[in-house]
Amino acid sequence: MPSPTESMLREQYGTPEQQRDSVTVGMWIFLATEVMFFGGLFAAFAVYHMYFTRGFSEGSAEMNIVLGSINTAVLLTSSLTMALAIYHAAAGRLVRTYWLLLLTAFIGLVFLAIKFTEYYQHYQEHKAPGMWFESNSPYASAIELFFVFYFIMTGLHALHMTIGIALVVIFAIRTAAGWFSASYHTPLEALGLYWHFVDIVWIYLFAIFYIVGLHK
Amino acid sequence: MSAPSFRPKTYVSVYGVLLALVLITVLVGYVDLGWGTEFVAVTIATIKASLVAMFFMHALAEKRLVWLVIAGALVWFLILVTLTMGDYITRSWLPFPGK
Amino acid sequence: MSEGPITRVRAAVAPSYLTTQRGIRSWLLTTDHKRIALLYTFSVTFFFLIGGIFALIMRLELLTPETDLVSPQTYNELFSMHGIMMVWFFLIPSIPNTLGNFLIPMMIGAKDLAFSKLNLASWYVFMLGGSIVLYAFFRGGVDTGWTFYTPFSTEYSTTYVIPAALGVFVSGFSSIMTGLNFIATIHRMRAPGLTWFRLLLFIWSQYATSVIFVLATPVLAVVLLMVAVERIFQVGIFTPALGGDPVLFQHLFWFYSHPAVYIMVLPAMGVISELVAAFSRKPVFGYLFVAFASISIAVISFLVWGHHMFVAGQSVYSAMYFSILSYLVAVPSAIKVFNWTATLYKGSVSWDTPMLYAIGFIGLFTIGGMTGLFLAALGIDVHVTDTYFVIAHFHYIMVGGTVMAYLGGMHYWWPKISGKMYPEGIAKLSALTVFLGFNLTFFPQFVLGYLGMPRRYAAYPPEFQYLHILSTAGATILGVGYVMPLIYFFWSWYYGPAAGPNPWRATGLEWQTTSPPPPDNFEITPVVTRKAYDYAGMKEELRLA
Repeated sequence: MPSPTESMLREQYGTPEQQRDSVTVGMWIFLATEVMFFGGLFAAFAVYHMYFTRGFSEGSAEMNIVLGSINTAVLLTSSLTMALAIYHAAAGRLVRTYWLLLLTAFIGLVFLAIKFTEYYQHYQEHKAPGMWFESNSPYASAIELFFVFYFIMTGLHALHMTIGIALVVIFAIRTAAGWFSASYHTPLEALGLYWHFVDIVWIYLFAIFYIVGLHK
Repeated sequence: MSAPSFRPKTYVSVYGVLLALVLITVLVGYVDLGWGTEFVAVTIATIKASLVAMFFMHALAEKRLVWLVIAGALVWFLILVTLTMGDYITRSWLPFPGK
Repeated sequence: MSEGPITRVRAAVAPSYLTTQRGIRSWLLTTDHKRIALLYTFSVTFFFLIGGIFALIMRLELLTPETDLVSPQTYNELFSMHGIMMVWFFLIPSIPNTLGNFLIPMMIGAKDLAFSKLNLASWYVFMLGGSIVLYAFFRGGVDTGWTFYTPFSTEYSTTYVIPAALGVFVSGFSSIMTGLNFIATIHRMRAPGLTWFRLLLFIWSQYATSVIFVLATPVLAVVLLMVAVERIFQVGIFTPALGGDPVLFQHLFWFYSHPAVYIMVLPAMGVISELVAAFSRKPVFGYLFVAFASISIAVISFLVWGHHMFVAGQSVYSAMYFSILSYLVAVPSAIKVFNWTATLYKGSVSWDTPMLYAIGFIGLFTIGGMTGLFLAALGIDVHVTDTYFVIAHFHYIMVGGTVMAYLGGMHYWWPKISGKMYPEGIAKLSALTVFLGFNLTFFPQFVLGYLGMPRRYAAYPPEFQYLHILSTAGATILGVGYVMPLIYFFWSWYYGPAAGPNPWRATGLEWQTTSPPPPDNFEITPVVTRKAYDYAGMKEELRLA
C-alpha cells in the first residue's frame, strides 16, 4: 500500500507541482479531444437539423421529457457530489471522499438505468433505427435519422458514463486503501474533470434532442 | 499541493442555479418559437456548461495554458461547424437550382 | 554544457538505455521513451514494407494497358490497402513516434515524456489497430480507397470495410495519446533556462504536429464510427436513399484528413531544419519565422479541407473560399523553404548522407508544394482532379518529402540511437538511388495526369503505356534504394564503428550526452543558457567534441 506524495512522484518529474500541472494539462487536452469527437456528431446533427427541421421536430416530440429532465438533474447532482468529494480530499477528510465517490457512482448508475428505460421505450414504440423502425409520418426518413443520431450520441455518452462510473468505483476503493491525501489526490482531480465534462456533454444532448419538439 | 477549489456552499448554490436552468429550458420548449426554440435551448445549455466549467471544473482558476486548451477546443469545434454549415447554407445561393 | 573525457570514461562502464536491462519483457514492458521509439521503428518499418509490396504489385499491373496481372477488383483492393497502410501506419506515426519519441525529451533536457506509461500504451494501441487492419486485408481486403467514400463504403462494397475502418479508428487513439503526451511534455518538462525561443525547431514542428493530432483525429474517429454504424444497421446517415448526404461524410472525413497531411509533413520539416543547420554549421535563417510558420501551418491546415471536394458537389462559394485559403496555407511552407535555402548561404556546408536527403527534400517538396497550388486553383483542379496529377503531387510531398526527411533523420541520429556509425559510402549511394528512383517513378505521373489518365484505374489507353513503364522502372529502383538502408543499418548495429557522443559536432542537447544515451538521458539535468544553433558561440566546445 503506497503512501502519498513522495512515492507517487514519477521519475521523470522534478517536483510534485510539476507532476500535478502536467496531469491537469494532460486531462484538459484529453477533454479537448472529446470536444472534437462529440463535435463531429454535433456538426452532422446541425446540418441535418437544418435540412429536416420538421422531421427532427417530430422525432423530438417522441422523446420522454420527464425522464430526460430527471436524468439531467440526476447528472448535475452527481457533479455536485463529485466536486464535494474532491473538496473533502483536499481538506484531508478522505472518509467523506470515499462515501461521496460511491454516491457519485450510484447516481451515475441511476442515470444509466433511466437511460436504458428510455431506450427500451423507444424500441417498443418502433423508433429504434434500422430494422426495428416503423413510422406512418410523411417525415419517417427524417425521424429515423433523428433517432440514429439520438442513439449514437446518447449511446457514446452512456459509454463514457460507464467508463466513468467504473473509474469512480476504482478510485473509491483506492481512497479507502489510503492512496490519497490532502497533499496528493491529483488522480481524483483528473477524474473529476472527466466526470464534469461528461455532464456537460449531456447538457447539450438534452438541449438538442429533448427540447425541439416539446411544443407539439 | 492541490487544485484551486470552492467552498461547499458555492457548489450547492451553483447546483441550485443549474437545476433552475433545466426547468427554464423545459418551459421554453413548450413555447413555439420556430428555430428560436433551439437557439434558446442551446444558449441556456451553454450557460449551464460554463457554470459547470467555471465552478465544478474551476477552469478560470487554472493556469493560462489550460485556458488556451479550452479556447482551442471551442474555436476548433466552431471551425468544423461553421465551415461545414457554410457549404450547406450557401448551396441555395446560386441563381439556378444547383446542389 | 559539453562533457569531456571524464564522462566518456564513465559512460564506458555505465549502462546505456540499450544494455541497462535485457530480455524481451524489458522491451515489451518498458516505459523508456527511447526503447518505445525503437518498438515503433520496427512497427512502422514492417507496415511500410507491406504498403510497399502493394505498390509494387500495382506498378507491375500498370506495365500493360490491360488488367492482366490482377483483376480490377483486386486492383481496387491494392490501392486501398496501400493507402491505408502508408497513411495511417507509416507516414503519420513515422517521424513523431520514432524520432519524436526518442528525441523530444532529450532535446528539452528531460528524463522522459510527461506520461511514460501512456507512451507504451500508445504503441500497444497502434499495434492493435495495425493487427485489425491486417486481419481485414488478409481475410479479403477492402476496396473503398483509403478515403472510405460513402455510399460505396456503407452500402455497396462487399469487402471488409468495418474491420479496416475499425483498425484505423483504433490507431487514431494512438495518435491522440502521442499528441497529448508531446504537448504536455513540451510545455511542462523543459530544462531550466530552456525558454520557448531557445527550443530547437524540431520541437516547434513536433508541437505543431501534436496540436493537429489532438484536434483532428477525434473527428476521423467519429466519422468512421458513423460509417460502421450505417453499414451494420443499414441506416442512412450518408446515404441518399434515407435522406443522408454523402458530401457530409466527405466534410467530416477531410476535416481530419487534410490536417493529417500536415501531420505527415510538419515533422519532416522539423527534421530538415535540424539537418540544414547541422550541415551548414549555422543557425537556421529566420528562426522566429520558421517557428511561427510551423504553428501557422497547423492552424491554417484546418481551414482548407474543401479543396479535396471541388467536384463533389459543395457550394461554389464554399469552393471559392477553400481555394483562397489553400493558397494562404502555402505561404508558411514557402517561408520555410526560403529560410532553409538562406541558411546555406555562407555556411560551412558538408555533404554527408543526411544533408543529401535534406537537399533532396527541399527540391522535391518545392515541386510537390507548387503542384499543390495548381490543384488549389478551381479551374485547373476540375481538369486534373482524380487523375495521376494528384497522385504525383502528393507522392512528391509524402515520398519525396516525408520519407526522404525520415531517412535523413534516421541517418543523422543513428549514431545517437545505436552508438554506431553507418557506412557513409553505401549510404550516399542509396540516397542517390532513392532520389533517382523517386523522380523516375513520379515525374511521369504528372504528365500522365495532365494527359488525362485517371487515378485508381487498372486499365488505360495504350498511348499512356510508355509513361507507365518509366514509372514502374523508377519504382523498382526506388525499392532497391529503400532496401539498402535496411541492410546496412542492421549491419552497423552489430559491426559498425563506435560513434562518439557528437560525431557531427552539432549543437543541441541530445548531442551533449553519450551515444547511446544512458537510461535517464543525462547524468545531471542540463541548464540551458544559449540560444539554439549557437555554432558561433560553441565553436571551441564543438571542436573538442
